[in-house]
Amino acid sequence: MLGNFEYKKVRSVEEGSRCLVDAGGSGAILAGGTDLLVEIRNSIKSPSLLVDCKGIEALSAFEHSPIETNIGASVPLNQLIEHKSFRETFPALTDALLSIGTYQLRSRATVAGNICNASPAADSAPVLLVRGAVVEATGANGVRSIPIQEFFTGVKKTSLQLGEIVTSVRLPAESGLRTAFLKQQRVRGHDLAVANIAGAYTPESNTLRMAIGSCAPTPVLMEPIPVDSNDVGAFSAHVAGLVMKAVSPISDVRASAAYRNAVLPTLARRIVYAVLDGQGGGN
Amino acid sequence: MHEIRFTVNGQAESKRVEATTTLLELLRDRLALTGTKEGCGIGECGACTVLMDGAPVTSCLVLAVEADGHAIETIEGEAVSGELSILQQAFIDAGATQCGFCTPGMIMSARGLLNRIPEPSTEEIVEAIAGNLCRCTGYEAIVEAVRIASQRMAGGGVQ
Repeated sequence: MLGNFEYKKVRSVEEGSRCLVDAGGSGAILAGGTDLLVEIRNSIKSPSLLVDCKGIEALSAFEHSPIETNIGASVPLNQLIEHKSFRETFPALTDALLSIGTYQLRSRATVAGNICNASPAADSAPVLLVRGAVVEATGANGVRSIPIQEFFTGVKKTSLQLGEIVTSVRLPAESGLRTAFLKQQRVRGHDLAVANIAGAYTPESNTLRMAIGSCAPTPVLMEPIPVDSNDVGAFSAHVAGLVMKAVSPISDVRASAAYRNAVLPTLARRIVYAVLDGQGGGN
Repeated sequence: MHEIRFTVNGQAESKRVEATTTLLELLRDRLALTGTKEGCGIGECGACTVLMDGAPVTSCLVLAVEADGHAIETIEGEAVSGELSILQQAFIDAGATQCGFCTPGMIMSARGLLNRIPEPSTEEIVEAIAGNLCRCTGYEAIVEAVRIASQRMAGGGVQ
């Protein structure tokens, strides 16, 4: 037995939203459950009501076109990872999703769940940030489109209001974008990030966007950086310096602040090499 | 209490379950399908892996009530009429099982893999069982077992 809660499978977003409001803040949305049920088991969370959103048909929709990609809140990660065109369009995001948990967990886990859990180490977050994802949410006050950089407000905290349900994560198409994702973890396989980082280079504007996870209370999106590709080595060192100014690592169960401070510049440089030179490493 | 209908190894089942009961508890405690093991209880070890609509899931992180309307496959569904599946036989032939605690979960992860990729590469096998911990064999024999099963299935075996 897991905790002490009621379960309700809802058929519409409106019904789900009402359930959450009626539960007065002690309700929780159940999508894949791969974070929520662990937190309940470990007594970190004790919701009185789980609102299963997987009965809402619209939330299972996955739309992928050359113009836009819309990932319904109930779509499991493996459905995305195993979609050939998705993989080709979003290689860095695919890498990030593949680094989450295990195959079994990815059968259940969702992108919406990953961001709603709002761990500073959420592996999808850095790529979603550099790709300008938009979180679609519906609540009592209607529909809101929340830019992902406004979604995370603190450790395990989001800008969602009581009764608001994330319905999908939208990714605008951006042609020519070159992206990369790296994750530092203690063991190969199933592990959370000591640090994760993503970069997106836009040739048109010649700018680089960088985002870092697990090194601040929320995933961090940096201001776009003008690119100097004449000397990639020097530029990568410049970017690494900017990255270190953007983060505030702490020591926790996974790594010390000193380790994070040591590893992050290298990860940042590797991202620069990957997106500018198509190389995997920058040392 | 919630009324749920689902299938286990192809057989229709109907049960009344508490919201807080896990699929793992339903299988082991209510249906006496004790082949599925509980290791960590938090989705880390893979001992409780079963297939849900063909996809491997950790049954400790699925609520029993979430199984409503779905098809569940467990290790008990592998052998037919007392005859081991090709996959089970390959585990024996490769020496891929020692204490046996991880084996049901390993086999269900491997079953999920072979369902979607009949002839997987070594890398694909390793990735598929990365969520199944084994403290005895050291994995090489398990990877070999999955490879042998894949080859034997390609050779005309049904399972």
